[in-house]
Amino acid sequence: MSITSQAVTANNAPSSSAPEIASLLVVTQASLSLVAGLSAIPFSIVEPGFRVLSVLTILVAIGMFWLARNLRRQRRWARRWVIALEALGLLASLLLTVLPIGAMRGPVPVLVNLVMPAAVLWLLWSRSGRAAFKKAA
Amino acid sequence: MYDIAGEHAVAIGAAIALIVSLWLALRALSWLARRRIGWAVALVEAYRTTSAIASLAAVLMLVSGVIHLALIPSHEGITAVLFVINGLGFVVLGVAAFFTSWWRRPAVLWLAATIVAYVVWIIAGWETPDQIGIACKLIELVALGLILRLAQPGRRTWPRRMWRAVAFPMLASLATIGIWVGGLAHPDALHAHAGAILQPVAAVATPEQRDAAARLLSNTRASIARYQDPAAAIAAGFKPGPVSSADPLRHFENSANANAILDPKHPQALVYAQTKHGLQLIGAMYQMKSAGQWGPDPGGPLTQWHQHEGICFSPFGFEFSFETPFWTCPVGSTSITTPPMLHVWIIDNGKEGPFAADLDKTVQKQLQGS
Repeated sequence: MSITSQAVTANNAPSSSAPEIASLLVVTQASLSLVAGLSAIPFSIVEPGFRVLSVLTILVAIGMFWLARNLRRQRRWARRWVIALEALGLLASLLLTVLPIGAMRGPVPVLVNLVMPAAVLWLLWSRSGRAAFKKAA
Repeated sequence: MYDIAGEHAVAIGAAIALIVSLWLALRALSWLARRRIGWAVALVEAYRTTSAIASLAAVLMLVSGVIHLALIPSHEGITAVLFVINGLGFVVLGVAAFFTSWWRRPAVLWLAATIVAYVVWIIAGWETPDQIGIACKLIELVALGLILRLAQPGRRTWPRRMWRAVAFPMLASLATIGIWVGGLAHPDALHAHAGAILQPVAAVATPEQRDAAARLLSNTRASIARYQDPAAAIAAGFKPGPVSSADPLRHFENSANANAILDPKHPQALVYAQTKHGLQLIGAMYQMKSAGQWGPDPGGPLTQWHQHEGICFSPFGFEFSFETPFWTCPVGSTSITTPPMLHVWIIDNGKEGPFAADLDKTVQKQLQGS
């Protein structure tokens, strides 16, 4: 067996990688949101408004885990929801980038708030991404 | 709170250079393969037959490897040795992903060990979390998640599937919490408290600086004495800030003074303390116009400006929490960085002094009880 054919055996792609990679990125975002939601709990003791934001963030994170699971299963409705949410998040982040409030300083906020949503959108809009969901339907 | 350490900035250049080099190398190999050069054909075939998930994981490991290697000169001792081992390990595993079948398990162990080691280093205080380190962990987390998805169909028993589903979010969450706790537990010298970074200044004040600081205090005290009654401040254009149950201090801001720079006659805000007998004027706050623009410090280390960063601010009132190391805030709030500010406390501020970023805790308790 040649080196190349070994690689084929080990790494052969599933029908399409786009939903799989997009799903993983959504899980990563959901994990980060979950921690943000949990971290607001101590502040909600003295800032009642943060109780609502904390619960809302945890619910959003749980929803994102669920969407990621269904994205992986190539459900078309999950693709639509993820595209809508990521587009909304990306627009909000772009707006915050323009505002002089220092919301985007350095590689971490750029990766998390701009690159990751843009990558998910690109994966789901790409030809292979669209084809994967069409095939599943 | 999470800045880019100056000596770490080279890693960004190294990562970008690697990605550009990989792209150029791929183009060159494709060109050679079209001309039937044997080894180029074999390499291009290996690349094309590797799944997108494995390719992406390999590229991310190569990026992490190059970042580690680029950071060796800025580290010393055991950390530098580990960076050499780690960087070379990632490069070997990244290349192996295209040519071998054994790379997955070592890569999972290598990535998990690297992430755990970073968290241990941060919690122990051997490393300060900065954006390069945190961005590198994000890259490694995504690479790890991708490799975990390369499951072999024959081995998809339900405990394995359950573990694969839970392992990645669990590690991502624990890594975030670990970096966060470590960073908060070991703030560097320029952090007044979590979320407030101080202006870099000399260690000792000169006699001239002491005189200038005393002048600033007396001028400020004389200038704002007319605002003892909050109604007088409101009549002069100062607007009361929102009431917060978390903060007994209230800032009254005057946007008409936005362009003044450290002018005792035109402070940007007045600070009142909520006491049992109503609001008591306790100081003034000077503020610059833009984040990162430190103001003049006539008293040197005595008049050190500070700016708040890494805080999640909700527009639904004066409510905030701290952002996570991965720069995420609860839904409905956003990370903000305030322009630098300098408080001048006209009451006795105990050990903290008249220009401290915060009101002394003992003084604050006394005011609340009075």
